[in-house]
Amino acid sequence: MMKQLFPVKHVVGYVSSLVLTALALVVLMDIPSAAKMGILVVTAVIQSSLQLVLFMHIGETDEKKSLYINIAYALFVALVTILGSLFIFVWGWYA
Amino acid sequence: MKIDATQPLEYGTDENRYKVFGFWLFLGAEIALFATLFTTYFILVNRYANGPSGAEIFEIGPVLVETFLLLTSSFTIGLAVHSMRLGLKKQMMIFLIITLLLGAAFLGVEIYEFFTYVHEGATLSTSAFLSSLFLLLGTHGAHVTFGLLWGIAILIQLRKHGLNHRTANKSFIFSLYWHFLDVVWIFIFSFVYLKGLM
Repeated sequence: MMKQLFPVKHVVGYVSSLVLTALALVVLMDIPSAAKMGILVVTAVIQSSLQLVLFMHIGETDEKKSLYINIAYALFVALVTILGSLFIFVWGWYA
Repeated sequence: MKIDATQPLEYGTDENRYKVFGFWLFLGAEIALFATLFTTYFILVNRYANGPSGAEIFEIGPVLVETFLLLTSSFTIGLAVHSMRLGLKKQMMIFLIITLLLGAAFLGVEIYEFFTYVHEGATLSTSAFLSSLFLLLGTHGAHVTFGLLWGIAILIQLRKHGLNHRTANKSFIFSLYWHFLDVVWIFIFSFVYLKGLM
């Protein structure tokens, strides 16, 4: 029964997300700051992909291609909004 | 109504499939919404005027508790959907109840955190940094609050009508919403708290 209620795939996904959270904590230690942003981006992207693919079953239907395109487009809009605004307001490329 | 028995209940009819698809489109719009809030935060993060900076008010302890609660609730809602697909209504409802309790605990810690900030003189109107911080965290917290009410409504329907293609579809869509909130939190955890503390 336990095995039926707690499938290995879900348990592995859960444990991986906890491990990735712990891994992200190394940015609080004394390491080169260039590496810190890299670590945060990598752990956050892997964790969110875990949620999308494993828990949200994005790829389980015939519509998966449309779903991936939809999410990819949303991420494109998000990245352009964030990076484009930083480009102008913070990194000072308006001159 | 044509019911396709080869599919899980929540995908059993055309209408069900369109609803799941439509909800994914909504989540795409939610990604754009949170992107604008993150943008505002990233631009204003150093404009803390005479108020405290992130490094001064953030505490890793409560944040780790919040992260653990939300990650675990995302796991349990996944298990609820898994039980649903096995037709185990009782186990599914138990997992759903655990999920909602974890969500409520998350909200409790977040409210406590907000109280602490305000007590330390960090309010919504103290600085541009704090306005954008409360706006981002508050929008996420409001989504969790709405999710709690939605989850309770689903529990009531499951109790009243049992598992059928309609309640299964609603439950599955709710699980998508809940996982999505966890995804947003992962980014808040990484790029607001950890980045602010490093």
